[in-house]
Amino acid sequence: MTAYLAAIATLVGVRALLTLGLNVQWGLTGLVNLGIVAFFAIGAYTSALSAVGGVPLALAWPAAIVLAAAAGAGLAMIALRLREDYLAIVTLGFAEVLRLVLLNEAWFTRGSNGVTGIPRPLHARFAAHYDLFYLVLVLSAVAVVYVGLERLRRSPFGRVLRAIREDEIVAAVAGKPVFRFQVQAFAVGAGVAGLAGILFAHYLAYVEPNMFLPQESLFVWLALILGGSGNNRGALLGSAVLLGLLEGSRFAKDLIPFLTGVRLAAMQQILVGVVLVTLMIRRPEGLLPEKPGS
Amino acid sequence: MTPIAQYVFNGVVTGGILALPAVAFSLLWGLLRFPNFAVSTYLTVGAYVALMLNRDARASIELAWLGALVVTGVVALAVDRTAFRPMRDRRPFSLAIASIGVAFVLENVVRFVWGNDFRSYDVPVTRAMSMAGLRVGRDQLFILAVATGLMALAQTFLLRTRLGIAMRATADNPRLAAVKGVPTEQVIAFATFGGGALAGGAGVFLGLDASVDPLMGGGLIISVFAAAILGGIGSAPGALAGALIVGIMEEVGTLAVPPTYKTAIGFTIILVVLLVRPSGLAGARS
Repeated sequence: MTAYLAAIATLVGVRALLTLGLNVQWGLTGLVNLGIVAFFAIGAYTSALSAVGGVPLALAWPAAIVLAAAAGAGLAMIALRLREDYLAIVTLGFAEVLRLVLLNEAWFTRGSNGVTGIPRPLHARFAAHYDLFYLVLVLSAVAVVYVGLERLRRSPFGRVLRAIREDEIVAAVAGKPVFRFQVQAFAVGAGVAGLAGILFAHYLAYVEPNMFLPQESLFVWLALILGGSGNNRGALLGSAVLLGLLEGSRFAKDLIPFLTGVRLAAMQQILVGVVLVTLMIRRPEGLLPEKPGS
Repeated sequence: MTPIAQYVFNGVVTGGILALPAVAFSLLWGLLRFPNFAVSTYLTVGAYVALMLNRDARASIELAWLGALVVTGVVALAVDRTAFRPMRDRRPFSLAIASIGVAFVLENVVRFVWGNDFRSYDVPVTRAMSMAGLRVGRDQLFILAVATGLMALAQTFLLRTRLGIAMRATADNPRLAAVKGVPTEQVIAFATFGGGALAGGAGVFLGLDASVDPLMGGGLIISVFAAAILGGIGSAPGALAGALIVGIMEEVGTLAVPPTYKTAIGFTIILVVLLVRPSGLAGARS
């Protein structure tokens, strides 16, 4: 049972990082990104492939974060010229094309077989309680990112981001280089998502392209909106509630006998969709609404 | 060695199928001001409704097709009433997110009922004909004929009927149209039903041309988007032209890249159009 709880808590931590990353982009800056899973994948694959190729983790991890952030900046520079309804499809398409590349360019990414044998950091040293060690590692990462993003949110930089979210034109008139701020915010969010990917890959010791389906981005959106976008605490709460929702519905299998694996998965996803639509209609500000002026 | 003309022909059939949801998607975007991601999932809904009628109720495929048209239209209407209507005055992106949620629900209802297997309709097997050196299936001809007819019907409706004109007026300027006495909600209801029906019918075609599975419609979302953006949002003839171009490029593209990269071709078209000519071919509204 402790092993199960530790696993759940670790995954909540990974999801929390993803949600915090999206919160920088959408919650703070108002930038649509339906392809957050792409940066999760870039972090996971960069770190996994380098580590398997013998690069020390002390080098692979920062490289993976930098690459995810750079990809975010690159996509933002192309896509931010577009209206937000176009941005939705461009970010979604970017993530889907990236997944296709991971799937098809097997010479580089190992294709649908995935990357196996990803080293688990400090495994020899903490072998006896490794799950617990990794949980602490992930939670520390969440704590560091949370504190960092809270400081960023309250900093002059964060204030500009929120001003851009509320009204780009006013921010521009006030002399702020809106585009540069947006690209930076997008890069920071992508970097955080990349970190989530790293921790995910080295936790499972295995990654494959279908871990990064478009629906994963939707889950991150649901967590963010559920918790309350614009609010880092909300991002944490939303991630926990979402995983509770997904894991909780797993127990439905024991209660309803005719539920097959496929049906169970479908039911979970129906639940996710219904919650998302209901939230959008009834409570778009989420469980913990952002406090004005905080 | 298959001649390139065969790829072009296959692309025209794919484009003809794609045109139906693309027109629905483009008109609804023009009318309601948000990209409705659920439109491509209506294809899946239509395909499975027809599957039920054709396999379980033993209806002919033509009858099943009509049934799919009507039922999918009603589903689209129900979705609009429950999910989108309460959000009419919200920013487009909120509605877009809600529509993704709707697509997710519909796709998984299908998966819950029918599972993940690939299925096909109970239709007599016919041999492909040889025309001008091309391999042409009877299904393909049937699909092309009906799709062309439907497109003509839609265009006549938009240009000639009171409701069609009201629809274009509302898309152009909703407040002015409402002030002039256009019943906005009725127009939206009709467009939603019509759009759902077009997409549902296209789903049956897609099921005939390829096979029926829960991802068949949702997987087309990028192609549908590409066709609508290429054609210019809100333009029916534009979406038709866009769909044909996207269909042909995706098929011919398989000569250069593996077929699994089809989505990437659609995505490239979207990027190029948005960066070079965001208003699309029709160029009315951007």
